[in-house]
Amino acid sequence: MDAIYADSQFQDVPYEEKKKLFDQVAGDMRYESMLYGCYECGICTAACPSARFYDFSPRVFAQVMAREDVHTFYELLNESVWDCSQCFSCLRCPRQNNPGGIITIMREVAVNNGLQSAKDALQAYSRIIYKIMSTGTQVAPDMLQPDFFPDWGPDVVQVSKNLDVWRRAIPPETMHTTELAWDVSEKTRMELYLIWKLTGNLEMIEQIDEGLFMILEEVMEELLEEHGYDIDDIDSVIDD
Amino acid sequence: MEHNPILVIGAGPAGLEAARGAADLGYRALLVEKAPVLGGTPILADYAAITPNMENAEVAMKRMVDAVADDPLIDVRLETVVTAAEGDAPEINVTLSTPAGNEQMAVGSVIVCTGFQHFDPGRETQMYGYYEYDDVITLVDCERMLKAGSFVKPSNGETPKRVCFIQCVGSRDRQIGNFWCSKVCCGIACKEAIEIRQMVPDCQVFVFYIDMRMYGFWEDEIYWKAQDDHKVNFIRGIVTEITKRGDQVVIKGEDTTMGRPVEVPMDVVILSVGMEPSEGSTKMAEIFRMPLESHGFIETIGGALNTVTTSRPGCFAAGASTGPADLEDSISMAGAAVMKAAGFLRKHSLAASKSA
Repeated sequence: MDAIYADSQFQDVPYEEKKKLFDQVAGDMRYESMLYGCYECGICTAACPSARFYDFSPRVFAQVMAREDVHTFYELLNESVWDCSQCFSCLRCPRQNNPGGIITIMREVAVNNGLQSAKDALQAYSRIIYKIMSTGTQVAPDMLQPDFFPDWGPDVVQVSKNLDVWRRAIPPETMHTTELAWDVSEKTRMELYLIWKLTGNLEMIEQIDEGLFMILEEVMEELLEEHGYDIDDIDSVIDD
Repeated sequence: MEHNPILVIGAGPAGLEAARGAADLGYRALLVEKAPVLGGTPILADYAAITPNMENAEVAMKRMVDAVADDPLIDVRLETVVTAAEGDAPEINVTLSTPAGNEQMAVGSVIVCTGFQHFDPGRETQMYGYYEYDDVITLVDCERMLKAGSFVKPSNGETPKRVCFIQCVGSRDRQIGNFWCSKVCCGIACKEAIEIRQMVPDCQVFVFYIDMRMYGFWEDEIYWKAQDDHKVNFIRGIVTEITKRGDQVVIKGEDTTMGRPVEVPMDVVILSVGMEPSEGSTKMAEIFRMPLESHGFIETIGGALNTVTTSRPGCFAAGASTGPADLEDSISMAGAAVMKAAGFLRKHSLAASKSA
């Protein structure tokens, strides 16, 4: 089936390829409760913070998916799907659609299929992904460097000079850290890693950023080995 | 107290309801119908199902027809038209042209239920080519195919893969001179779209619209249903022209919410034609000296609070003879009109017995 727009992009990509990805989104178990029909009224886009800064509209996602417009879906999957900040302001839809939720599923499909748009979008986040997946925390105190965030003002220089002293001034001992947001036990890290592995999240990372995957795997499996676990015998690891 | 009968002109939904109502109130009704059958447009134009509840139109209309057919208070005249009227209610002398020749009758009150006619797309100002392309049809043509139980591409009988409706053809158009919204076409297009999707599940269905006017329960009962459950595609934007490419017709328009040009080959294009005053309505207005309102329908003078009273005492109008009306409007107006007609006769006979 041809595209309906005279200016449709990706006309060289076969319909079957686009339809395969579309079906993965529409076949997701969450999808049915996220999309009914779209009035194209724009209440979601009017509420959307990303729409103020990017050429992005949650309405377009709802209307394109409601129309089952496979070609325009593919356009979105290759670009503006990454412009959403996932704040879900769009949930005020009178038809009870959830454009942000549709975008969540579309991003997963883009990642699972190793789409170039997913690789490009996530490239800048390697460090954060590594940190979350290996420790469970994201923003670390040592990220507070003046040249990273000049908009945070002159105090940042002062604070970053004696970071460990400032951190020790915080009452809970678990916060006396500089490389992590808080102290994470090795047991927690290992459990976390097993969750990523068993839920398929590691495979997702392997699709998107093989280098990151290899470092993560090496570091974490070494930790597991140190603790006497054999990752190849996953059942016994879980039983423990 | 003996009264002249209430003359009901037209035996469509409104006329049948008015005649039945007169008999229920104990008044005699004279029901005249131009066609050889009762039921009006839903029967004469082969409607498949009525909007919004999708009941089989023949079954629904048969119920109404049965309610008048054997009532001794209702005198049903088929293939009959009113050709002249003299005098004032409650003593109007009408001339009927019947298959057996002309007949004079005295009637006490009149309810005009002469309905509408479908807009003729040969008059549209866009370039849709209704008379040029076999695969450009109207809501009415589509209804006929649905009733016959097979929706196909008229030019070659094949199963269509892509079909679209174009809304507001002949309505809301200053170029044509029809300023009004015909009220029902949005609902009927949704209903037909659902029926097509059910009959031909692999066929994509688009509706090109200006606004979808789905008032009251039509909103969720047909519009949401078409969109949510049957995946009918609604695109805001009206097609500007239709051209021929191979064995398909190509529609050209703008998707106004996306701001993108649309150009799609279609197997069948369905023009959602609206309502215009019927010839019968115009004629009856003339015969009974009832003025027309600015759009050409029979004028009622009571505004929003009285939808059936005309400027001619004892003469009432109901249904689509007064302007675009759906079945709910038509039936409700018929009830209001027969109540007023009966009230008119009763007041006159009371006045007559007092003065006697």
